[in-house]
Amino acid sequence: MFRYFICFFTLACFSFFVYANDNHSELREEQNIYGKIYNAPLHLSGSSKVTSVESLYSRKPLIVALVFTRCYGICNPYLLQLSENIKQLQSNTDFNVLVVSFDPRDNLKDMTNLAKQYRLENNRQWNFATTDSINEFINSIGFNPKWDSITQQFDHDALLVGVNEKGLITKNLLGIRTVDDLQLMIRSIHNVFIPSYRLPTKSNIFSCFNYDPKTQTNRPGLGLLFVALPAIITFLIVIIIVIKSKRAAA
Amino acid sequence: MNIESLKLKKISALWIIVILVLFIASIVLGILMRLNQGKVIEQSPLTFYTNMTTHGLTMIGIWFAAGMVAVNYLLQRYVKTSYGVNLFAFILTVIGVVMLWITTYAGKFSTGWTFLYPLPFRDLGSESWSTPLFLISLTVLGVGWLVWSVSLMAQILKKYTLSQAFAWQHFKSNASVETPPFILITTVTLIGVIASLIAAVIVIILYFAEYFSHGDFVNDALLMKNLIYFFGHTIANEMLYLGLAVIYEIFGEVSDRPKWKMTWYISLAWNCAMIFILTAFFHHLYMDFVQPQALQIVGQLASYLASIPSAAVTVFSIVAAVYGVKVRWSIVNLLFFLGVAGWVIGGLGAVIDATISNNIMLHNTLWVPAHFHTYNAMGNVLFSLGFFYWFSTQYVDKLVLSKLTKYTLALLIIGGIGFLMAFYVAGANSIPRRYSTYPVELTSGPYLAKVGALFASIYLIAILIFFYNIAKRCFVILSASSR
Repeated sequence: MFRYFICFFTLACFSFFVYANDNHSELREEQNIYGKIYNAPLHLSGSSKVTSVESLYSRKPLIVALVFTRCYGICNPYLLQLSENIKQLQSNTDFNVLVVSFDPRDNLKDMTNLAKQYRLENNRQWNFATTDSINEFINSIGFNPKWDSITQQFDHDALLVGVNEKGLITKNLLGIRTVDDLQLMIRSIHNVFIPSYRLPTKSNIFSCFNYDPKTQTNRPGLGLLFVALPAIITFLIVIIIVIKSKRAAA
Repeated sequence: MNIESLKLKKISALWIIVILVLFIASIVLGILMRLNQGKVIEQSPLTFYTNMTTHGLTMIGIWFAAGMVAVNYLLQRYVKTSYGVNLFAFILTVIGVVMLWITTYAGKFSTGWTFLYPLPFRDLGSESWSTPLFLISLTVLGVGWLVWSVSLMAQILKKYTLSQAFAWQHFKSNASVETPPFILITTVTLIGVIASLIAAVIVIILYFAEYFSHGDFVNDALLMKNLIYFFGHTIANEMLYLGLAVIYEIFGEVSDRPKWKMTWYISLAWNCAMIFILTAFFHHLYMDFVQPQALQIVGQLASYLASIPSAAVTVFSIVAAVYGVKVRWSIVNLLFFLGVAGWVIGGLGAVIDATISNNIMLHNTLWVPAHFHTYNAMGNVLFSLGFFYWFSTQYVDKLVLSKLTKYTLALLIIGGIGFLMAFYVAGANSIPRRYSTYPVELTSGPYLAKVGALFASIYLIAILIFFYNIAKRCFVILSASSR
């Protein structure tokens, strides 16, 4: 009976670790960190002058949001959430937000309308822009929207990019995120250390922890078992030696 | 003298000569690093870090091997050990060290002795073949030492039951069988050694898996750091315990004092050391925020519980052995006595650093090399030098405390303390470790590095004199015949 209990217990422990690891995604928040963002020329809504990304980030660190105005999907809730989160921040003036369209069909009028939609057209912290160098710009970020000709929509991630005053990407946030995550990003663009950990991928099967972006919790992974493995194997070696010694003595 | 005994003596003498030669070479590398930090010489960062890697790995390897040689030799008093396994370990160690030096000097492998992930896979200016050769060299060393450790463990457990080997019967009054302290400490140490070497095996397998997967498999940095420090921290401590086992065995003998008996508190202290040393390595991961907080607390508690009981009973035993009685002082027991002082002082430095609230200030400063050099250069090295001296003189010469020996010891102490003080003062001033050169803001860094290099050179002179005295006697043993 005791033997069955031990077997069941061991299997239960292992199944827990296996379950914990069965959660891979293609998320890539860690990509392009500390890479330099492309200094694209920008056409800002409400301005006739051409400016550049560098002229924005050299004034204040930037949070860059990539959208397209004809989006039926994530872009609107994502921008809405961002604007709401920023309102909730206690100190929300020490950075600027740059909303750039990655759709070549978008023009300045479209971007101005988008700003009006959120009543941000007169907010100097927010910059709605288009650029002629969108490919170079999104490549420097690692953002890769796919055009779907059937739906006439881009299949894309909801990505926020944190850029410090030197133009270096310090943090990416994928998906609609909480104000806490946004605060981490704001700390990172001000060059304050923020903890981060590689997200699980299919090639990383022995993680100590697996982060679930849906629940925003860490679960123990198979890697933690490996930390205990040397002690377990040593224990087994000693037991084998003892058994062999007893047999030899008998 | 029987042939088995002579063979063991010869292989031990050979080990000692090789260890001391490598020790001298590694001290020279250390002095060069400090001279570079002091801006007396100019090395490229790549040269500095290849020197740092070679210095660290060689030192860890040779002083672990020195402890094993001593324990293997003295274990012969209680159980029969295998000469073949000893020779096998020696051959693999020599091959492993040669491969390691080729890796660092021809291949420019320069990750530091901790080879933390993912540094071995990063282009640090090294040759592409250096990473696999480095991993192979560690495999060769690890296999040799693991087989050796398991073999010694098996021989102990042939004579003693597991509970006797751990001296558990001494928790009760009137133990029927007495376990010599040497057997207890050797057993608990070998268990730690085996566990740490298995951790190294797992690390090497994971590194190889990533190397040969061409990107299909990547490692987890947190897992690799945990395993590397399971190996590195544990083996660095276990090699000290090997030295302490030797002291428990022969300190009384060379001091004309009775041999230490096993007591319940010695048994308890060393059983604690065995358990807690396996989890103390968590204190290396205080800055790794993803490590669960519970493990960080375990790291601090285990650091205290692994070191304080064993240090307390050892210091108590040593002081009790020499206090108020006539002791025949020789170079051997003086080295042991000073070594225990170095171990305790370095241990205190380590415990200070292992305290979470202090680690915030001291982490990755020169305080870290300060404390580990204290319990190695002025602790473990002295344990092993004491054994080497005792071993080389027991059949060839008499143990006398000549004037030259006293001067040599004085040089060793002056050099050692000065060299360590430069580290401690720099660490307390937040000078970072592992910098090849210091930025201008750290004005005291280069100055203290020069002071360190000067005193390390004095320490080196003392070691050269020890080497001459010990090696010449070892050569006599090597040329002896069984008749």
